[in-house]
Amino acid sequence: MSTLLIRIRRGLPTSVLLLILGVLVIVPMLFIALAAFSSETPRPGSIGLSGLSLDNFAIFGSSQALGAVGNSLLVAGSASVLALAIGCGLAFLAARTDTPGRRFLYFAGIAPMFLPSLVGALAWSLLGSPATGFLNLLLHSVGLNITVNIYSMPGLIMVLALYYAPYAFLLVHGALSLMNPDLEEAAFVHGGTRRRTLRRVTFPLALPAVLGSGILIFALTMENFPVAQVIGNPAQIDTLPSFIYRLMNASPSRGNEAAAVAIVLTGVLLIVTAIQQRAVLRRKFTTVTGKGVKPKKVPLGRWRLPAFAAAVLYFVLAVVLPLGALLIASLQNSPYVASLGQLTEPGALSFYALGELITSDDFLQAARNSVLTAVLAGLIGTALSFGLAYTVYRTGAAGRRVLEFAAMAPLAVPAIVLGLGLLWTWLVVPLPVYGTVVVLIVAFLAVFLPQSYRGVSASILQVDRDLEDSAVLLGAHRTKAVTKVTLPLMRVGMVSTLLLLLMLCMRELSAALFLFTSDTRLLSILIFDNYDNGAMQGAASVSLLYCGVIGVIALLAKSLGARTVDGAR
Amino acid sequence: MKVQLENITLAYGEATAIDRLSVTVEDGESLVLLGKSGCGKTSTMRCVAGLETPTGGRITIGDTVVFDGERGVRVAPNKRNVGMVFQSYAVWPHRTIFQNVAFPLQQQRLPKAEIRERVADVLALVGLTEYAERGASLLSGGQMQRVALARSLVMRPSVLLLDEPLSNLDARLRDRLRVELREIQQRLGLTCVYVTHDQSEALALADRIALMQGGRIVQIDRPEKIYDAPSSAAIADFLGVSNIFPCAPAGPGSAPATYRLTGHATEVTSDTPAAGTGKDPRVCIRPEDIRLTGEPATGANSWPGRVDVVSFQGSYVRYRVSLKDGPELDAVVPRRATRMLDVGTPVWASADPDAVQILPAEVPA
Repeated sequence: MSTLLIRIRRGLPTSVLLLILGVLVIVPMLFIALAAFSSETPRPGSIGLSGLSLDNFAIFGSSQALGAVGNSLLVAGSASVLALAIGCGLAFLAARTDTPGRRFLYFAGIAPMFLPSLVGALAWSLLGSPATGFLNLLLHSVGLNITVNIYSMPGLIMVLALYYAPYAFLLVHGALSLMNPDLEEAAFVHGGTRRRTLRRVTFPLALPAVLGSGILIFALTMENFPVAQVIGNPAQIDTLPSFIYRLMNASPSRGNEAAAVAIVLTGVLLIVTAIQQRAVLRRKFTTVTGKGVKPKKVPLGRWRLPAFAAAVLYFVLAVVLPLGALLIASLQNSPYVASLGQLTEPGALSFYALGELITSDDFLQAARNSVLTAVLAGLIGTALSFGLAYTVYRTGAAGRRVLEFAAMAPLAVPAIVLGLGLLWTWLVVPLPVYGTVVVLIVAFLAVFLPQSYRGVSASILQVDRDLEDSAVLLGAHRTKAVTKVTLPLMRVGMVSTLLLLLMLCMRELSAALFLFTSDTRLLSILIFDNYDNGAMQGAASVSLLYCGVIGVIALLAKSLGARTVDGAR
Repeated sequence: MKVQLENITLAYGEATAIDRLSVTVEDGESLVLLGKSGCGKTSTMRCVAGLETPTGGRITIGDTVVFDGERGVRVAPNKRNVGMVFQSYAVWPHRTIFQNVAFPLQQQRLPKAEIRERVADVLALVGLTEYAERGASLLSGGQMQRVALARSLVMRPSVLLLDEPLSNLDARLRDRLRVELREIQQRLGLTCVYVTHDQSEALALADRIALMQGGRIVQIDRPEKIYDAPSSAAIADFLGVSNIFPCAPAGPGSAPATYRLTGHATEVTSDTPAAGTGKDPRVCIRPEDIRLTGEPATGANSWPGRVDVVSFQGSYVRYRVSLKDGPELDAVVPRRATRMLDVGTPVWASADPDAVQILPAEVPA
C-alpha cells in the first residue's frame, strides 16, 4: 500500500468528525458573526462578504442594550453568590457535620436540579405575582399587608439562585466528602484546633471546587433565558438573552442587531469559560482521593436544628412550594383566584382540566416530539461523543486537539445564540431539514456536545488502553477489540451519558426557541407558548407532567449508575 | 522465533524515544531490556508488538518482515502472532478466566473442543485450573499475572513480550514468580523480550541483558559478564555498585595502577586495566567486595575508618564506614562472617585490587 493511501485512510475518521463538528458548531457561529457585521440576515441567495460594517453594534448606544448588559452582569453575579452560599452551606452540612437527616440534606441539595428553570420560574410567578400570587393571597388572608413581588430584580436573582445552587452543592459536596481524612488528621496531630483545621486545611482544599462551580453558575445564569423571560419580562428587566429574543420577535425582525448582541454575550461567556477552565486546571489538588473514605464530622451542638431548618427552608422554597403551586393551578376550575378561600369551595378543584390536557392533540404531539428528539439526540450524541473521544484519546490522528476544542466550544456559546445560528444555517443549506424534528435534534446535539463528550471521555480514560491493545495482540481486529473489550467496559459510562443527554434534551427550551414550527413543538415549547399566551393553567399542567417524565429518567439513571464494573480502572 | 531489529528509530516530534537501535533476539533466547524509565525500553517493545509505529528501520519476526519504513511494510498487531504481558496485566474484568484465555483461539476460529483442550492445558501450566469459571475482577495480583501469561502462551506466540510483569506484586510473590517465569520460558523454549528497571529481575531472567540509555543500547551481554564488567560507572551504579568516586591517576598508567580519589587523600590500587577510561575516570567497588577487619589488611587498599551506620538486613549486614581523610564507603558483610560491629567502632576497610574497577563515567552511546 502506498504511503499516500495510508495517510488518506488514517486521516479519514478525523476529517469526517471535523466535518460534523463544523456543521454542528462552527458554521452556525460563522453565520452569527456574518449577520452581526452585515445588513442582511443570512438567507439563500444573500450570503456574501459585501457590505460589512459595524453598524449593528450601534445598538449598544441605546439605553436598552446597555441596560441589558448591566442587568445581565448584576443578575448573574448576585445569583452566583447567592447560589454558592446556598450550595456550599448545604454541602458542608450534608458532608461534614452531624446535622440530622443526612440523606434528606443530600436529596434537598440535588432535587431542584430536576426542576427545569423554566418550570421553576413559572411556578414562582404563580406564587409571587403581586396581584394573584398564591403567597400574596395567603399573606392577605391572614391579614398581613405585605406583598411579595417576584417580578423584581431580587425576585429574578432569587429564582435563579434557587435552581442553580445544586451545581455548587454537587461539586463542593464531592470535594468535601472525598477529601483524604489523613490531611485533616495531620493538622490535628500537629496541634491544630478543629476550627483552625477547617479554616486552614479543609476549606482551602475545597476552594477549587467552590471557585469552579461559582464561575460555572455565573456562565449558566448569564445565558439563562427562561427565568429572564418569565420573571424579568413582567418586571421590565431585560437581560442579554431576553433582549436577543425580543429583537428577533420584533416586527420587522431585527436579526442583525440580535446577532450583534449575541456576539457580545458569547464574548463575555468565552472569557468566563476561559477563566473557569484555567482555574480548574491550575488549582487541581491531587489530595482528593476516590477511596470510600469516611471524613470526620464536625459536631454542631445547639446549631444542629437551626441548620436542619435552613435546609428544609431551601427545599420548601425550591421544590415544595413550586410543585404545590403548579398542582393547584392545574387543578383549579376557575381561571382566576382572588382569594385562597375560593379554592376550598366544593368543585373548585378537579382533574377535569388535567385529563383534557393529557388527551389533547397538542399535548400528545408535543410529548411525542420531545421523546423522539431526546431519544434520537441522545443516541446520536453518545455515538458521536464516543467517536470523538476515541479519536482524541486512543489514536495518534492529526488534528485531534482541534476536534477536542471544537467539541468543547459550545460551552462558551449560549444555547439561544447557537439556536439562532442554526436557524440561519439550515435556512441556507439546501436540504429539507428546517421545520422538521431533525433541526431540533441537530440543535440539541450541538448544545450538549460538551457534556456528552466529557461524559464519554471520562469513561474511556477509565478503561486502561492496555485492555484493548492486548485483544489486538491476541489476534482480534481493532474494531473487534473495541466492540468486545472497550465498549463493554464503558457500558456504565455510555448509558449514563445517554441518560444525561435525554434529561438535558427534555429540559431544553432556549436552543429550540427559534427552530420549532407548529408541527414540531416540544413539551418545553408548549409550556412557554401557553405561558406566552397567558394560559397559565395549561402551562402549569404541562409543567407538572413534564417534571414527572424528567423524574422517571432521573430514577432510571440512578438505578443504572449504581452498577459499576469492577476493575475498569 | 528469531526477532531482528535493524536501525529502529522512533521520534515524537522533536523527542527521540529510540535512536537507530539494532538488536537480534535468537530463537529461544530471553533478552532483557534493562534501563531507567524513559530510556526507550518499553517503546522498543511496543514497536515489536506493532502498538507503536517506528519512524524508520526494519523489524523481522522469523522470516516475516513485519515493519519496514522504507518499503512501507506495516503488519497489523493482530497479524503478528506476538504475545504480550502488560504491566497492568490488562485482564478483562468483564470476562471469566476461561473467556480471557480462550480469546486468542476464538479469534483464530478454532473448533470449540480444541479451544477447551488448549485452554485447560495452559491453565494447568500456570496453576489456575480450578479458577477457570471465576470472574476476572475477583483475582489477586499474582493470579491476574498468571491469567495474562496464560492468555499469551495459549496462542503459541512467535515471541513473548513482557512489560515489567512483576513490578506490581509484593516482594515475596515477585521472587517466586520470577523463578516460575524462567522455568516456563526455558521449558517451552520461548523467545522472550522482557522489559524491566529492576537489576535483580534482569539478572535472574535473562540469557542476555541489553542495557539501554537515551534510546540506545549501551551494553549487551550475558548477565554474569555485565555484572562483572560493566562498561561505565553509570551502568555499574545501575547494577548496584554503590561505591563510585571520581579519581585521577596517581602513578604510572600500567596495571596495577594507583589512583587518588578526587578531593580526598585516599589512594586506591586497581588490577583491572584502565583501558578507555577517558578524561573522567571513576573508582567502582561493589559493597560486597569491601571487607571490614580490626587490623590493617596486608597488601594494597587498606584504609582506616569508623562505623557510622549499621543496618541489619537478615542474611547480611549493611555498614556505612567513613574513612579517615576519605569518603564514606558502603559495605555489605554476610551475617555469619564476623560478629556485628557497633556504631563508632574503629575498623579497617579493605578491597582486593582485582575487585576495584576503573571505569569511564559514561560510555558514548
